[in-house]
Amino acid sequence: MKLMATRRRSVVASIAAAALAWGSGLAYAQADKPLRIGFSMARTGMLANATPSQLNTYELWREQVNARGGMDVGGTKRKVEFVIYDDQSKPEQAVRIYEKLITDDKVDLLLAPWGTPFHIAIAPVLEKYKFPVVGNTAASVALRQVKPGYIWFTTSAIPDRIGTELTAMLKQQNVKSVAVLSNVLPFTKEIKNFVEPELKKAGIDIKVSTEYPPDIKDMTAALTQVKQANVDAVLALAYPGDSVLYAKQAKELGLNNPFQFVAIGPSDAFFPKAVGAASADGVVTIAHWSPRPEWKGSQAFYDSYVKKFGEDPDYLNSALAWMSLEILETAVAKNGLDKEKIRATIASDTFETINGKVKFEGVQNVVTPTAFVQYQKGKLQIVWPASIATGKFEPKKGW
Amino acid sequence: MIDTLLSGQLLFSALVTGSLYALVALGLNLVYGTMRMLNVAHGDLVMLGAYGAFWAFSLAGVSPLLAAPLVAAAGAAVGIGLYRGLFRGMLAKVTPSTAGKLEGNSLLLFFGLSILMQNIVALAFTPNNRAYAYLGEVYRIGNVSMTANRLLVLCVAGGVCVAVALFLSRHVAGLAMRAVIERREAASIVGVDVDRVQRLSFAVGFGTAALAGVLMSMLEQFSPFSGFPFTIAGFIVIILGGLGNVTGGLLAALLLGVIETYGVALTSANLRSVLLYGSFVVALLVFPNGLLARRLVTR
Repeated sequence: MKLMATRRRSVVASIAAAALAWGSGLAYAQADKPLRIGFSMARTGMLANATPSQLNTYELWREQVNARGGMDVGGTKRKVEFVIYDDQSKPEQAVRIYEKLITDDKVDLLLAPWGTPFHIAIAPVLEKYKFPVVGNTAASVALRQVKPGYIWFTTSAIPDRIGTELTAMLKQQNVKSVAVLSNVLPFTKEIKNFVEPELKKAGIDIKVSTEYPPDIKDMTAALTQVKQANVDAVLALAYPGDSVLYAKQAKELGLNNPFQFVAIGPSDAFFPKAVGAASADGVVTIAHWSPRPEWKGSQAFYDSYVKKFGEDPDYLNSALAWMSLEILETAVAKNGLDKEKIRATIASDTFETINGKVKFEGVQNVVTPTAFVQYQKGKLQIVWPASIATGKFEPKKGW
Repeated sequence: MIDTLLSGQLLFSALVTGSLYALVALGLNLVYGTMRMLNVAHGDLVMLGAYGAFWAFSLAGVSPLLAAPLVAAAGAAVGIGLYRGLFRGMLAKVTPSTAGKLEGNSLLLFFGLSILMQNIVALAFTPNNRAYAYLGEVYRIGNVSMTANRLLVLCVAGGVCVAVALFLSRHVAGLAMRAVIERREAASIVGVDVDRVQRLSFAVGFGTAALAGVLMSMLEQFSPFSGFPFTIAGFIVIILGGLGNVTGGLLAALLLGVIETYGVALTSANLRSVLLYGSFVVALLVFPNGLLARRLVTR
């Protein structure tokens, strides 16, 4: 009997709650409709562990925009609501999702998914429905083959430019010989293909050049070879998973090369936690952002990210995601939701972002320089190029 | 090149890799051996063990060394729970004519459990990469340098494997387990409590998987989706060593470690998968019942 009474009471309570929720929803809808922004993200599957730094940045942005009354849509402020789908780490799934977001969910705006193959995959859909999207976490020379129009790529970390800039930096540090270890996944393989000819051109001796698969579990054999070669610089063209393996085994074998470049991974907060702060110190990696007084909002972004998530943003992916949001926000404030006008603005205006000025020519950001950062006393500092540097390169002292 | 091969550094790597594979394969083998159930969620138990150690370390500051027995015990408890709640009933209904069906059903069931575990962990803990730095100091013995955590993994994984092998060959409960593995019907006729043996297999199988997870978490980073490669490695080992043959599995795991380390050193890291699966296929063609099968049969 008692059980029955409780159950009845809870049923009444839930009906009341539902009615309230419905009523308030109705009132809300009448006052002003929230702005619905859609995107897909790899929440499950092989790439899911790479996406949180981007998704976190989106969430942080939504929270801040709503806290200041909403996103400025051509003069009226509207609260932001996300429509998120899991693309299961499959680009073809992302294609279907973006099509659904546009035609079925009828979202007001779109944000970019994670990663190069996903950006390339959705480009034709955006073209078909004439729906502009500011890309962020995509970097490949293949992006230049994407038809310019409705998607733009914010990063300057394109492999051919990494090849020339990295060589210039090595040259400046008086590096005479290098060892190149490369993961065979597309981005690092592309870097290898561009950096090696540049090194040869610059007269830098490539003493070791080897590749490895993404599922590698032990690098002892390759690293013993690197140690014996006694080179000035090691270019570990690694992905996040193997960047940690490299650092741990470099420590075990005592690789004491003063220039240690690790391509992807160290820009994310997990890296120093995984290898220890002392091991991370001195590692050079790819990123073109760091909090800098000259870049308005960069320190505020860093502080609010750390406050909300308790760890540093990814200096590459989080910064890129935030830049893309800033660009979209500016274009929407100016044009409202008129897709053609938004497109024209993004394609032609110069934008102020936390990474300085951004301007697109075709699909590419032509202002932000290709840059490298280094861990110095637990913080990432831009050490190349000098025009935006926040610190000077320091030779790595052991692991 | 020759001095690299003879340096002992590669041998150390091969032993670390091999001992971890051996520990992973051990549990898989016991569960398959005693019940003919293919636990494709085994790698996900390794992943859960890794999370156990990670949270204990980063939230409570508990050293993974202390957490190891606790996590292993929790793994064993989960194993017993699953056995009681899900598999005992299934196994009780098995007759020799439906044994094949059980193998298929268990495969599907564990596959479902695997997907559930991965996604629940991804939802609960986010799919972030996790890792922590523990026992990172490097020791040098002769010309071999060893990171303390890798040395620890070798000792613990190797020690537990040897202990379980001894348990199976010396202890009466271990002998009962082997009896069930080798002659299930006969074992129950001579009075072996098959239900208890099965429960024990689940406990040891799940416990060692969780322990392997704790050890793995000291060496590499992991995410909710890190378990699957361990399932695959475990299957290669137990098929090489002979399904249900625990000693064979231990040797096969070391062999796999050697192939992976020395094979890569002699050829190219890009050939890692070719070497692993290639030797697996060759072994299946030449020794279809596992490397040690003949010796066991003639004994």
